[in-house]
Amino acid sequence: MSATLSSAGGIAVRSVRNLLRLPSVFLPALLMPTFQVVSFTGTYRGVTEIPGFPTDHAANWYLPLAVVMGCSFAGLGIGFTTIRDIESGFYDRLRMSPAPRRSLLMGPLLAAWVRAVFAIVLVTIVGTLLGARLTDGVLGLLTLAAAGIGIATVGTGWALGLAYRFRDMRAAAIMQLTLFFGLFLTDANSPLNVMTGWLHGVARINPLTNILRLARTGFLGEVTWSDSWGGLVAIGVLGVLAMWFARTGLNKLDD
Amino acid sequence: MTAAALPTRRQSFLAQTLAMSKRAIIAVIRQPAMVIPSLLFPLFFVALGTSSFSKAIVIPGFPKVDSFLDFALAGSIVQGILFGSTVSATALATDIENGFFDRLLASPTSRVSILIGRLAGGMAYGGLQTLLFILVLLPFGLTVQSGVVGVLVMILGGILVALAVGGLMAAMAIKTGSSEAVQGAFPLLFILLFFSSTFFPRETMKGYHAAIADVNPLSFISEGFRSLTIESLSASAVAQTLLIPLGLTVLTVSLSLRTLRGRLDAS
Repeated sequence: MSATLSSAGGIAVRSVRNLLRLPSVFLPALLMPTFQVVSFTGTYRGVTEIPGFPTDHAANWYLPLAVVMGCSFAGLGIGFTTIRDIESGFYDRLRMSPAPRRSLLMGPLLAAWVRAVFAIVLVTIVGTLLGARLTDGVLGLLTLAAAGIGIATVGTGWALGLAYRFRDMRAAAIMQLTLFFGLFLTDANSPLNVMTGWLHGVARINPLTNILRLARTGFLGEVTWSDSWGGLVAIGVLGVLAMWFARTGLNKLDD
Repeated sequence: MTAAALPTRRQSFLAQTLAMSKRAIIAVIRQPAMVIPSLLFPLFFVALGTSSFSKAIVIPGFPKVDSFLDFALAGSIVQGILFGSTVSATALATDIENGFFDRLLASPTSRVSILIGRLAGGMAYGGLQTLLFILVLLPFGLTVQSGVVGVLVMILGGILVALAVGGLMAAMAIKTGSSEAVQGAFPLLFILLFFSSTFFPRETMKGYHAAIADVNPLSFISEGFRSLTIESLSASAVAQTLLIPLGLTVLTVSLSLRTLRGRLDAS
């Protein structure tokens, strides 16, 4: 176990160092959610006046969305760097090293969590400047962070699994599109009780809606178990499935 | 060839522009993967917006509409054309990268026809996008209050918007000679799009966001298309849909021609 942890730590440290050496690779993933919270809060300010909208501050609704979006792209960023490593041959050297296989998944996952923390901090600061306010104190920050780290885990597993299977940049487009559509086919823009039509049916069964509800619970009132458990279960199930997808992809890479 | 058989300068210019335009339009047709996202994404966002914001039409400041779909059509047209217009400029940058542009410049071809011809693909696509968005959304309840004439004006407006945006991106393509730089500039258009009334009415915005949207030309372009959708045909709506993109076209095409002259002087 200690060998796994130490190898995973080494891989994670390398990935984080790459952020500092190649900020141009990471900056878009930070700027995108920041722009999202700024633009959505400003553009859709009026939606809070729709009868039944759960907050009167657009930033309270869109900050958690931007955090979840940014954290999911933190996971996808790991997929991009893995593709680059596979294409450059570095990943073959990693696979030939005596590092435990699990560390090849844990290392990128730890790095994704570090990236996610950057996104959570930056977007929360910007959202707060735009008027977002926690409605249940620090507990709301914890649920936001849990949702962010959770979706980063899902994004990492999904991105690694695709990277191992495609082994080139074709995987990048699939990673982005699937998560992008997945996240927007939720109550991303407006709550379920305000929604009408086809999207309502899709968003109701989309597990990512539960993760967004978890992220938002501390910005829309008291943090309650009924608003949180669905998100935690979704993170648990999707996280395990995504990491299993990554693991089986890694096995295919070995074949 | 007798003197009478020699083409006049104007005929020659037209023939050159048409030949360049034909090449650009064929290039768009041959690369569906490049243009399909600019059809699908705006439609996806319309579908999303119509479901998410259908109840927003009652909030104070929202224009009087029958459904959010009527309001959203203008946004999808402007968004789609903005996405699609980078395709022509990217193709121009690719021509510069692979040397074809230099061969064109060395030939006895008018500089203006090289440029306008290259942008013609985007213009044709802009008009087609406008028509397609209207046709696709009609079965879902879209109503164009200004009727067939309004639709024709919108198509013409779409062509002009494509030329205006294409001109701006072409200037960038000529300046940098890099298709990567042209695509890298796309987020700037995206930012411009969100700081406008393309997706939501200006009247519901406040503070700095409203201030930027109030001076953003995309707000006025979107509102022109929107007026033709939600109001009956009027001279002011037609003028707004056509004259603002036309004014921008003059500016951006002049800018790209000037950039081209600068490039020629430098070489």
